[in-house]
Amino acid sequence: MRLENVWLRYHRRGPWVLQGVDVRIGAGEAAVVLGRNGVGKSTLLQVAAGVLRPARGRVADRPARVGWVPERFPADQPFTVEHYLGAMGRMAGLTAPEADRAVGVWVERLGLTRFRRVRLPELSKGTAQKVGLAQAMLRRPGLLVLDEPWEGLDATARELVPELIDEVLGDGGSVLVSDHRGETVRLPGARRWAVADGTVTEEGPPATEEVAVVEVAVPAARVAGVVARLRAEGHRVLGVRLGSAADPAGPTGDVAADPAGPGADAAAPAAAGDGRPLDTSLLVDQPSAVDPSAGVRR
Amino acid sequence: MTALVRLRLAGFLRTGRALAPVLAGLVALGILYGGGRAQPAEAYGVSAVVLFPVLAWQTKLLLDVEPDGQRRLAQVVVGARRERAAGLVAAVVAALGTVAVAMIFPWLVGGVTGPVEPGDRSIAVGLALGLWAHLLAVPPAVLLGALASRACTGSAGYGVAVLALGAVGAVVLGLSGSVAPWLAPPIMPTARTAAGDAAALTVTLLTLWALAWSGVALAGYVWRRRSRA
Repeated sequence: MRLENVWLRYHRRGPWVLQGVDVRIGAGEAAVVLGRNGVGKSTLLQVAAGVLRPARGRVADRPARVGWVPERFPADQPFTVEHYLGAMGRMAGLTAPEADRAVGVWVERLGLTRFRRVRLPELSKGTAQKVGLAQAMLRRPGLLVLDEPWEGLDATARELVPELIDEVLGDGGSVLVSDHRGETVRLPGARRWAVADGTVTEEGPPATEEVAVVEVAVPAARVAGVVARLRAEGHRVLGVRLGSAADPAGPTGDVAADPAGPGADAAAPAAAGDGRPLDTSLLVDQPSAVDPSAGVRR
Repeated sequence: MTALVRLRLAGFLRTGRALAPVLAGLVALGILYGGGRAQPAEAYGVSAVVLFPVLAWQTKLLLDVEPDGQRRLAQVVVGARRERAAGLVAAVVAALGTVAVAMIFPWLVGGVTGPVEPGDRSIAVGLALGLWAHLLAVPPAVLLGALASRACTGSAGYGVAVLALGAVGAVVLGLSGSVAPWLAPPIMPTARTAAGDAAALTVTLLTLWALAWSGVALAGYVWRRRSRA
């Protein structure tokens, strides 16, 4: 998705909030939007999500399915959590049974089970924020836009946000997230867009450090998620190869050749020809000093 | 889009906001039919005039029930065009419910009568003309209410002003001898036609007039929503 020369102001004679913004984000990429209060972080996110229309410029190649979590969830509505999420799921194109299933899954994951039949205005701020997260994830979005998603969440739910981001990235989606609490240290692999004076500049990657290669053995069924998480944390996955559970380091299958391409190594077989479950060995480029006892070769 | 229409109608009903326009409509109809019996076409024509501001107000209330944040969320999920269309469809559905009440109400209170003298229209023709008069009022009333909604005006004060000016303008500009009748939807001319000869050509022209006015109002609504998005 690209924002091309985007200009935006809220009133005809008002000041420009965004001036000639040019940014792009690819599939499988996350970007953290940084900046002081009132510089236009939320405005930028709303333009990306399709809530605001730029006065000049355009947003190109926005994915068809967008999940937007606003900074403040609009809880002043006469519905229960269950009714609201079901309706949002059907609005997103799910059938009624699919929406019910998705609501069940996300209510469970976000710890909203005991609030299912509670009306939205009766929820605390953090619980309402969880409903906001759930509605954005009911149908896996191609673009997930999170405006201060950690605001008001408890510790368990805060841990869940990077997990959700990883899942969207693992499916080839893109994620934009703003944060003023420093929670985005949990997303070290994300690009960093700094907003100031109506413009957006991308902060460069950290200076090149000595790298080490770490081999990690994971169950084959979990390889896609692990690869996504490693990438989200800023590591470069060099390859994936298959090995038996008894000999995780021994290559017995194909090696994914594209270490940096998103999703290139996501499809790994779950079992060997004889039906035994396989472990998958990942080669990970680790851009920092590591514990030599962990079996690292430099 | 159906899910969004249903959600908005549910919000309108559950908050109790639907009650005020329904009561206002019933009071207005009660006063209208309390004065004696009339021929159906004539009575329904006046009923449509009386209901025009009620339908517009009802639309404004329905669209304003939803918080701005939820409207933006709906826009992200279904797209801007469908979000706008869903609001208008929900308002039309609610308006048709009010029209149904208005069509039945006079029969319950004995406000209408069948043909009395030779040359009076049959009940069926009177009902058809009455339904036409009410249905003709629905699109302009819904669009006036939409133009007065918070999503368009941005504030409650401007919204009430748009609603009041639109409703009064429709009556004043529709009076016989008006200098600019085309500025208003044909609510008053429709009532006069229903009570008069109701020639096919007149009915057709009034229908086209109402559709043209609604088309212009719809364009204004879309432009205003896009410029405020």
